[in-house]
Amino acid sequence: MNRYIRYASVLSASLLLFLTTGCWSSNEIEDVSVIVGLGLDIANESRFERDINQQGASYPKKKVLTATVQIVPPITGKNEKKSGGSSSSPSKAYLNEQLTGDSVFQIFRQFSLRRDRPLVAHHLKVIVVSSELARRYSLEQIFDFILRDNDIRPSCLVVVSHRSALEALSSNEPGEIPALYLMGLVDNRYRSNKIIPPMSLIKLDSTMQSGESFLLQNVVTAQGEHKFSGAAIFKGSTKKWIGELSQYDLEGLLWVMEDVKGGSLKTYAPKTGHTVTYEPKNSHSTIIPKVQGDEISFHIKIESEGRLIEDWSFPEIPSSGQYINELEQQFEEEARKQIEQVLNKMQHVYHVDVGGFGDQVRIKHPKLWKKVKENWDETFSHAPITYEVKMNITDFGSSTD
Amino acid sequence: MSSTNNSTHDQITTSQAAVMIINYMLGAGILTLPRTTVEAAKTPDVWISILISGLIILLSGMIVVSLCRRFQGKTWFQFVPEITGKWLAFVLSLLFIGYFITISAFEIRIMAEVTGLYLLEGTPVWAIVMTFMWIGLYLTTGGINSIARICEIILPITLVFFLVAILLSSNIFDIKNLRPVLGSGFMPVIRGLKPSLLSLTGYEIMFVAMAFMKSPKKGTKAMLVGITVPLVIYLITVIMVIGGLSINGVETRTWPTLDLMRSFEMQGLIFERFESLLLVIWIMQIFSTFTITHYAASLGWSQLLKKNIRPFLFILLPVIFLIAMIPKDVSETFKLGDTVGNMSIYLFGGLPLILLLISIARKKGVKPK
Repeated sequence: MNRYIRYASVLSASLLLFLTTGCWSSNEIEDVSVIVGLGLDIANESRFERDINQQGASYPKKKVLTATVQIVPPITGKNEKKSGGSSSSPSKAYLNEQLTGDSVFQIFRQFSLRRDRPLVAHHLKVIVVSSELARRYSLEQIFDFILRDNDIRPSCLVVVSHRSALEALSSNEPGEIPALYLMGLVDNRYRSNKIIPPMSLIKLDSTMQSGESFLLQNVVTAQGEHKFSGAAIFKGSTKKWIGELSQYDLEGLLWVMEDVKGGSLKTYAPKTGHTVTYEPKNSHSTIIPKVQGDEISFHIKIESEGRLIEDWSFPEIPSSGQYINELEQQFEEEARKQIEQVLNKMQHVYHVDVGGFGDQVRIKHPKLWKKVKENWDETFSHAPITYEVKMNITDFGSSTD
Repeated sequence: MSSTNNSTHDQITTSQAAVMIINYMLGAGILTLPRTTVEAAKTPDVWISILISGLIILLSGMIVVSLCRRFQGKTWFQFVPEITGKWLAFVLSLLFIGYFITISAFEIRIMAEVTGLYLLEGTPVWAIVMTFMWIGLYLTTGGINSIARICEIILPITLVFFLVAILLSSNIFDIKNLRPVLGSGFMPVIRGLKPSLLSLTGYEIMFVAMAFMKSPKKGTKAMLVGITVPLVIYLITVIMVIGGLSINGVETRTWPTLDLMRSFEMQGLIFERFESLLLVIWIMQIFSTFTITHYAASLGWSQLLKKNIRPFLFILLPVIFLIAMIPKDVSETFKLGDTVGNMSIYLFGGLPLILLLISIARKKGVKPK
């Protein structure tokens, strides 16, 4: 009797061990295609697709968008069989695959019809949306699948490409993976005041839910190389692309929105016209909403400390208090010009608030905010805005004169 | 081990009792709490709701302790007949057992849902659930002391990993998302009370656990610690999640706390991603909640029918499994959770106070010194 119990317990213990191994559905990394970048363009069928469509290899769909997935590492041996427009030479560290359709999810699954290794999106880092597509469809529609999917992490970065997203995800540099490259650019914020705070999927989702207008970093591409330049403006009510801010605008806006901790501010010395450049080390900006009755106005206070980092004046003028004062005023003037330009664009060209003014009203005057929130972009574009800028040159780098 | 008298060797210390309360309270609620409170309140002020409900819970916890102290060494199932008479007590005890069974089924289901979505996609639900339940059964057959000891092992691990993971999210934290404080007045805070009360229930385990305490005098202390720790954890969670995702972001996420973990990556640290870490410790927490409730329900039956507890441990296992499989989808699961919570408010919100008053009026039990 006792022996039977012992046998039974050994048997059941080993049975339990089988069950606790856990990884029933593990996928070896060699057997999947890891995608790191996703590009979304307006429909533009690749040659491969056109060819197979002629052979009747199509399914019912509208031609709405073309999705590009960037796969790393490329599957060796398959490179000779160049597929469509998205060519890839063996030296490349990635492979771009394109398919067209009208459902992002269906396109994703459609890839399994032509790849023996299924796509996994756990490591998706960057999503590039072309401005053309974002102008036609609301981001809410384009991103619906992406926000629901449980593979894609909400930490994934979203940027807009000025031209096609495929271009932004292509590169001539051997060994470079464009998606990771774009991701890396965001880390340079401490060196440039032309990069907006990264918009991750989770932030995009909450911003879209809140109904505010917002910015997405803009990528321009030429000859297979990329650059962050300016930002794309999205209207809060439609979530569609409505325009762009230039680099110069963005500098002005970041003075207002952020505590700038790097970058440069260049202007020309008053009399001689020589280049002088200021490097902000620290800045602080406060947006103060003022309410009188139902009239809202804003006052912006910006104070910055930094160093005089470049001065082309010759012969150099000694760093006397008066000269420094003049330069400080010159830099303030330049920053005011940038701010004026971007405020003008926001208020009078695009009629959107993408500078966080509404947030300040929400925080400081929550009752009023409830009333104006529905029509905020319009209200904002009529609100008078004043600003004061204070630039303090606190040092001159390694050279004093 | 006799079923009616709690044998002397199966006892727990004061700290074990506190740890049991903490582990029981830290259940599935933490994964959804930010959303449920924000959905009700629609303002970022829900952390105030949680503070207030913490105070309410502390108060009811005190009532539970003072009621139990009048009946030393007896569980709810044993002392209620002395207060209300046999038949009413039988009904109350059945409700109590029903509550424990449902909550343990609910925890199991939530565990299955979350692991199915994020951790073990493709593994059949029964495979996850059954191993989980069988191991739980193995633990509960060891009695309340074994459960308390496993809680003691799990808790420090949970606290350390939880704090590390949630504090790492501070680089996406934005204080703007928590402002303005009380921007829409105090009403939203009150609306947020109910969901936060629901996730903070768990002190009711003292109705069972206190009978096993070596020094029941320290029940108050155990209750105090047992409620404060989860309260602080819930508070940190809600503040970090709303600060990171903003109330608009929280409202649309099914599992906001997990999504907070999924919203950042730390390059250079041993792990780049922390949601699996959080999930793993949370599965342990759900495991402890499950075993505690499973044990409490079985103990209830055994004491009601004055039989040995072992058969009930086995009998209840399939019952819990079946109840866990009743909800058809996630939203029905959440509804089940709400029902359990409502039950707990009726059962443990007012009832202990009434029972305490009756027992004082009818001079039942021993007046604690």
